[in-house]
Amino acid sequence: MFDDRSPIYRQIADRIKADVLSGVLKGDEQVMSTNQYAAFYRINPATAAKAFQQLVDEGVLYKKRGIGMFVSPAAPDALRAERRERFFADVVDPMVAEAKAVGIPLGDVVKRIGELEGRG
Amino acid sequence: MRFPSRLLASQLFFAGLVWAAFYAVVTLITVGIAVFGTLTNSVWESATQVPRWFALFAGVAMIREFLPLYIAHGQTRRQFGAQAAVTVALYAPALSALLVLGYLLETLLYNVAGWPQELARPHLFASPTDVPLVFLEYLVEFLAWIVAGTFMAAAFYRWQGGGLLSIPLGIGLVVLGEAAIGTELRLPFIRFPLGVVSTPTVLTVLAGGVGCSLLGLAMTWSIIRDVPLRNRLA
Amino acid sequence: MNVEVRDLRVDYGEVRAVDGMTFSLGEGKIYGLLGRNGSGKTTLMSVLAGFRRQSGGTVRVGGRPVFENGKVTGEICLIRDAGETIDIDKVDDALYFAEWLRPRWDAAYANELLERFGLRRKMSVKAMSKGQRSALGVVVGLASRSPLTMFDESYLGMDAPSRYAFYDALLADFMAHPRTIILSTHLIEEYSPLFEEVMIIDRGRLVVREESQTLLARGTAVTGPADRVAEFTAGLTVLNTRRLGPTASATVYGDLDEARRRKAREAGLELGPIAMQDLFVHLTEPSGDAARAVPAGDAAAPHGADQSGDAR
Repeated sequence: MFDDRSPIYRQIADRIKADVLSGVLKGDEQVMSTNQYAAFYRINPATAAKAFQQLVDEGVLYKKRGIGMFVSPAAPDALRAERRERFFADVVDPMVAEAKAVGIPLGDVVKRIGELEGRG
Repeated sequence: MRFPSRLLASQLFFAGLVWAAFYAVVTLITVGIAVFGTLTNSVWESATQVPRWFALFAGVAMIREFLPLYIAHGQTRRQFGAQAAVTVALYAPALSALLVLGYLLETLLYNVAGWPQELARPHLFASPTDVPLVFLEYLVEFLAWIVAGTFMAAAFYRWQGGGLLSIPLGIGLVVLGEAAIGTELRLPFIRFPLGVVSTPTVLTVLAGGVGCSLLGLAMTWSIIRDVPLRNRLA
Repeated sequence: MNVEVRDLRVDYGEVRAVDGMTFSLGEGKIYGLLGRNGSGKTTLMSVLAGFRRQSGGTVRVGGRPVFENGKVTGEICLIRDAGETIDIDKVDDALYFAEWLRPRWDAAYANELLERFGLRRKMSVKAMSKGQRSALGVVVGLASRSPLTMFDESYLGMDAPSRYAFYDALLADFMAHPRTIILSTHLIEEYSPLFEEVMIIDRGRLVVREESQTLLARGTAVTGPADRVAEFTAGLTVLNTRRLGPTASATVYGDLDEARRRKAREAGLELGPIAMQDLFVHLTEPSGDAARAVPAGDAAAPHGADQSGDAR
């Protein structure tokens, strides 16, 4: 179920973030418990707890004592802002490098973007 | 921890079943001899040389099967040793009682059929109906054979092939038991009068039997008191 | 139950099976015990369970010595593949003895597990398949609910569905009744997600003692042109290097900080994660003398979490 070569908690955290971004998980909505996560993914509960702790530290989730974990109301916007910030470094720069490596003129890339923009 | 009464009960039940089958076979042979030849002796007397081996293997099983089971379930060797000693103290008299019962049933049969129930070997008892002495003789014999079994099984469990060295000592325990009875040594292929105790009394026999079983248990304990469980079972 | 081992030594005649181990384990965690055949896993666990006496050093469980100490051994359960606890006539008999000798035995749970593994009480243990015997061992081990529970290669002969049933049952019961669990295994990829911490032993010595996620984060594969890989990894702990033509891939053990990672990217090197099994192989390879490759402090230093456990 997991690519077992990178720390699992990082992967769980990434998946929850993706769910928040896509709106599957909404603000103030409760997420599954550590134990439910551990049982579902067949992993040690401490590992699942670590993922949750990371998300609490990042402000994506908040804890209600004795009840569980909830999505911070501000999380969707914050995550989106963060992704926007990293967009050029994470997506555009590698794309440009790849285009250069395979010999696609950047003009063609820009043209393509223009076409997509026109269609959208 | 409770005493394994259910275990002992089931072992005694098993011994009872084996005894019943054994008695049936012996009776068949008895009748056979009477029909096809002349019956002059107690057949049960000869038959009682077999159950000693049953006692020996009861002692072996106690170490081979139950010692590892106890330790693996978190009991100490000390706890096991104590319960094993109690088990021996209850199991041997039960087996002896079964042999007494065999003699009594045989007496009944011989009386009805009118056969002479002569004894071929020297015994503590003069007549098969002398219940206390019959019981005492076989009790001492079974005690000796069971502890010989626990001792040799312990040596084999601990040292595998090296356990062979324990056999002379095991035989020594058996000889000691027979000497206490003061009759004669009856091992396969060898029989000679011991005469260590010239005129055995109930007291010397009892003391000899108890002493022999305590010695055997102590020898067993010296081996198992810190025995490691084997890493791989054969 | 916490476990404290100091300078543990176990000899079999002339052969030293455990050669000076020191570590402590905290309460309520699942530990993985990894090591090659003959590395001393079974011996170590046998000593922890009081199956065998150590030749030197001390072993304390719950703060008390183990060997011939009934108060402690009654709280410990070690299930070995040989199966002392089940090698008896019928499944029924094996469970009878477990129920009678185990202080915390849960008979209802044992029944539930029997059903889950498709075992019947009337089955003869001697006639069962290897996998079924392993499953019965798992039933006894879990239903014993011992504060220190150890499974020594308890998967042997089990098919994949049975193994998954074991992992599911283990995790569910561990979460419902937290206890210290030690799992030894050669199926590292399957088991590693279950571990909170990992101990790797090699030739009777403790080589690695680490939180499993941290251990995974510490291993990095550095791949790229051979000369640049060599330049980058100079001074780092390199467990293994493989070459394919002009390309080399080095397995590096240790934390790589952000500056180093940037340096690698700038040099056109690819940094990738390493599976626990690969790390294990490299850390215990005969050629790559692991005891030398890994700084001693790594293995010997107790964890912060355990130090708090010691103080308790």
